[in-house]
Amino acid sequence: MREQTAEAPAVPTDGTTAQPSATVGPWSSYASMVRWNVAQVGSMLPLVVVVQAVLAAGIIVGFGLVIPDIDPATALYLSTGAPTVLLMVVGLVIVPQGVARARTDGTFVFLRTLPVPRLTLLLADLTVWLLVALPSVAVAVLVGELRFDLALSPDWPVLLVATVLVTVTATSVGYAVAVTLPPVLAQLVSQVLVFFVMLFSPLTFPATQLPAWFRTVHEWLPVQPAGDLLRAGLASEVYSADARDVAVLAVWCVVGVLLSLRALVRRG
Amino acid sequence: MSDDVLVVEGVTKRFGAVTANAAISIRVRAGEVVGLLGHNGAGKTTLVSQIVGLLRPDAGEIRVAGVDAVAHPGTARRLVALQAQGQVPLDGLTPRTAVELAGRLRGLPRREARRAAERLAVELDITEWIDQRALPEGRGLSGGVRRLAGFAMTVAAPAPLVVLDEPTNDVDAARRRRLWDAVRRLRDRGAGVLLVTHNVLEAEKVVDDLVVLDRGQVVAAGSPARLASGLDDGLRLEVTLPPGGDDPTPDVPFAVRQRVRAGRRVLLVVPADEASPAVTWAASLRDTGVVDGYTLGPATLEDAYLALTESTGAAGDELTEVTSHA
Repeated sequence: MREQTAEAPAVPTDGTTAQPSATVGPWSSYASMVRWNVAQVGSMLPLVVVVQAVLAAGIIVGFGLVIPDIDPATALYLSTGAPTVLLMVVGLVIVPQGVARARTDGTFVFLRTLPVPRLTLLLADLTVWLLVALPSVAVAVLVGELRFDLALSPDWPVLLVATVLVTVTATSVGYAVAVTLPPVLAQLVSQVLVFFVMLFSPLTFPATQLPAWFRTVHEWLPVQPAGDLLRAGLASEVYSADARDVAVLAVWCVVGVLLSLRALVRRG
Repeated sequence: MSDDVLVVEGVTKRFGAVTANAAISIRVRAGEVVGLLGHNGAGKTTLVSQIVGLLRPDAGEIRVAGVDAVAHPGTARRLVALQAQGQVPLDGLTPRTAVELAGRLRGLPRREARRAAERLAVELDITEWIDQRALPEGRGLSGGVRRLAGFAMTVAAPAPLVVLDEPTNDVDAARRRRLWDAVRRLRDRGAGVLLVTHNVLEAEKVVDDLVVLDRGQVVAAGSPARLASGLDDGLRLEVTLPPGGDDPTPDVPFAVRQRVRAGRRVLLVVPADEASPAVTWAASLRDTGVVDGYTLGPATLEDAYLALTESTGAAGDELTEVTSHA
């Protein structure tokens, strides 16, 4: 899934200045692209954090209103599900919208004309979206703490791995949606995904409330494993996750990355 | 080693039933500026997209500085610096940062990239805006400064082949001149430049060779002087019609080699020895009010270009645009 490359002609020593300067190291390319992307989304970052806070409040406070006399266990379930909702919304909604805009305004084509390997372009993009998404967990936990007196028991290694894996998976799947479908359709799909994640996924309510067939569907989709994994990282004394959750997420992650890479490499 | 930095050989690209490029062959040598001229939709940008590996040709061969760009697009991209027709996505960046990053991506050490940004800002006279951030919706920096920053990004680091697609769009006259000077310096340093444009008057000032594309085909190639001489000793008689007036030019009492109409203006290319009857005819029509005015002068490259591409029917539209720069 990478473009074929050949050795560039050696740089002549006759002093001509029209030859390429030097082979660019992968790290240098990556760092430059991350700087580029950070500058582009930088102005948007505070807004994204505000949106995340509002969403978190909507889920934790709003859903809390729907359930009268909420007990501590339900409050914990709701609050530990909220970070996953936020990460999924960033990955499956904000990322596709950003990428769809880049495709419409020419940024996507411009980036692909640069002397940068496609994989580096994708990794730099994913890195920046990871930075955008990461505050979600902290924001959601903070809102949960403010609303309910939560008894969290973080398992830091699990929490860290879960956060990164869930974010990269959601982001790469969102990216794949955005680069595989036509821009208008991608935006539409991302809107539908918001509802699916917020209302029809066992993140803010237990999976047992779903019909059996829908529970089976969710076992193969990335949303529930993501929720279970993050929950186990935030409240390790109450919830647990298993290797299957990691495996399902990893498969979705790889599929997302491969589809994105294919779209970047493809020549019409 | 050959000094060809770009060899396009028989490149054909189809989109469904539309043939955007039909067996196109072009050559750019080191230290040479080649203009690729053509109307909108002639297939210029499609060709450029294939050179940088965004599109794959259906047939033909593309070599960039000796590298097979069809088989190894990633390697070819390191040897081509492209300023695309669309604006560079600068939002959130200052021209200084953008040029430095572009230089770094092409392998310039940090310090050299910084120096390149400063040097180019002086050369293009945009130092005033070098630290001003471009903002979304075209705020922060004007279109002209964005375009010049895009040019600076393209040439910040040396590349064997530089492709410029309409680099002077939105740029004011004084800075256009500076940009053309910078292009000449690129050439003098040994880069091959492919200049894609539909503005024949600008191209004439800077190119060594021209390739004219029409409906995806190369209809002429050679130096500007050679192309212009295709009209031999022709003269151009330009007649301006009154609003709503009938066009008297299909029926003239002298020989006409080419006739192109654009709105109220009609361009006639006439042999030099027909100058006298042509002027007499035009003067009498002006006196009787059939035409608003006329001018007579030597036929130019622009006339040759229009004659070459007239068959498309788009020439009329283009004439208006081209002559407005005269």
